[in-house]
Amino acid sequence: MGLELRANNLIKRFGARELFNIEQLQVQEGESLHLNGDNGVGKTTLMKILAGLDKPCSGRVAVTPNMKSRWSTRLHPKVIYLHQTPYIFTGTVRDNLAYGLKLKGLAYKQISQIVEHALGWARLEELAEHSAHSLSGGEKQRLALARAWVLAPGLLFLDEPTANLDKQSVISVADLIQKMLEEGAAVMVSNHQQNSVTELCKRSLLLEDGKVKEHSHLAQGFYHA
Amino acid sequence: MQDNLLETSILSLQLLFSLDAELWDIIGVSFRVSVIAISIATLPAILVGFLLAMVDFKGRWMVIALFNALMAVPTVVVGLTLYLLLSRSGPFGDLHLLFTQPAMIIGQIALAFPLLVCMSHSAFQSIDKRAWETARTLGANCCYAVITIMKEARFALLAAVLAGFGRIISEVGCSMMVGGNIMSYTRNIPTAIALETSKGMFAQGIALGLVLLVLALLLNFTLASIRGKGRLV
Repeated sequence: MGLELRANNLIKRFGARELFNIEQLQVQEGESLHLNGDNGVGKTTLMKILAGLDKPCSGRVAVTPNMKSRWSTRLHPKVIYLHQTPYIFTGTVRDNLAYGLKLKGLAYKQISQIVEHALGWARLEELAEHSAHSLSGGEKQRLALARAWVLAPGLLFLDEPTANLDKQSVISVADLIQKMLEEGAAVMVSNHQQNSVTELCKRSLLLEDGKVKEHSHLAQGFYHA
Repeated sequence: MQDNLLETSILSLQLLFSLDAELWDIIGVSFRVSVIAISIATLPAILVGFLLAMVDFKGRWMVIALFNALMAVPTVVVGLTLYLLLSRSGPFGDLHLLFTQPAMIIGQIALAFPLLVCMSHSAFQSIDKRAWETARTLGANCCYAVITIMKEARFALLAAVLAGFGRIISEVGCSMMVGGNIMSYTRNIPTAIALETSKGMFAQGIALGLVLLVLALLLNFTLASIRGKGRLV
């Protein structure tokens, strides 16, 4: 059974100001979505709520199948959110890649093998033992993607993954996202500019005036999701 | 006067290096009490600092202000409060803790706790919220995410612990009041220095002062060398 995310009646307010009120939003396995919208409309907040990192004022987000362990406070293990500027933990590139794997309780040898594979996947082999803080913006973004990829995500939220990246880095990041899509992960990318990453997306959503409107690439207009 | 100072200094070094039993006994009490106090205070204080930095609740700024104020309370005031609580007529008089090492430990915990809370709160405040969110989204439960954040803030937390230890091992007011300065039991370095100086016996005071000075240098060199390895990139 594939991963499916359903959000119903999501309302987020900051004080008296209502950021958004979304009746329904659904993301299915293998989908690629581009979440568009101007600065400050709530794209980041919406993605964090969908990923379980933030709470809505009301409404519900359900991910099926529910893989959360009953006694655990973990978020859904197949849903991962990546920040616009990824947070890189202190340590080497290898340490960062191994972070989530260690939490899964895998054996050292297995972690080592997966990390080696991920280094090749993100073309970071030569930087494996470098301090992760010393990487460039594009390399950090690739590291963050690889760090998520090793956990085999079913749904990935990418918050403006190409912001502040040069042309070549945008292409590299787009390559990695393409590979993830080919492996069956659903990806939601927020971006207010069109580029090679947003071109990968088959569905387009516009967050405007507190509502999510769906836009088909074939159709010209937006309609409420 | 200069000759006198030189003689006293030489005598103090002789006391130190001849392993004078009385002197090393005092040093032992000092370290035992302060190490136990800082060990007990550190983890809860760091967790309080973490909660103050991460959890938004009503009146948070008041709690932070309260801990900041407690940090500035003179050691004698903490000692006096504890004395009143532990004296025979006080609410905890039946515990017979006054003039014991446990009383000194309680006093030193009370002194170190606000400092540790405030410094660890600052340490956690300097860590980006994205660190917490990244740890959580990569599968860390709350407990492991806290450990991750502590690792990210480790230099600042270590500085907090060393500052806390420095404060309590050198404080005299609280130890004097609730410890009673009993030889071989509650006499520690600061209370011994105060006593010996009042008697005009400077050699032991200088020897003990040297121990505190060496300790301060050691702690700060340790911190500086660790921080050097974790330099900004």
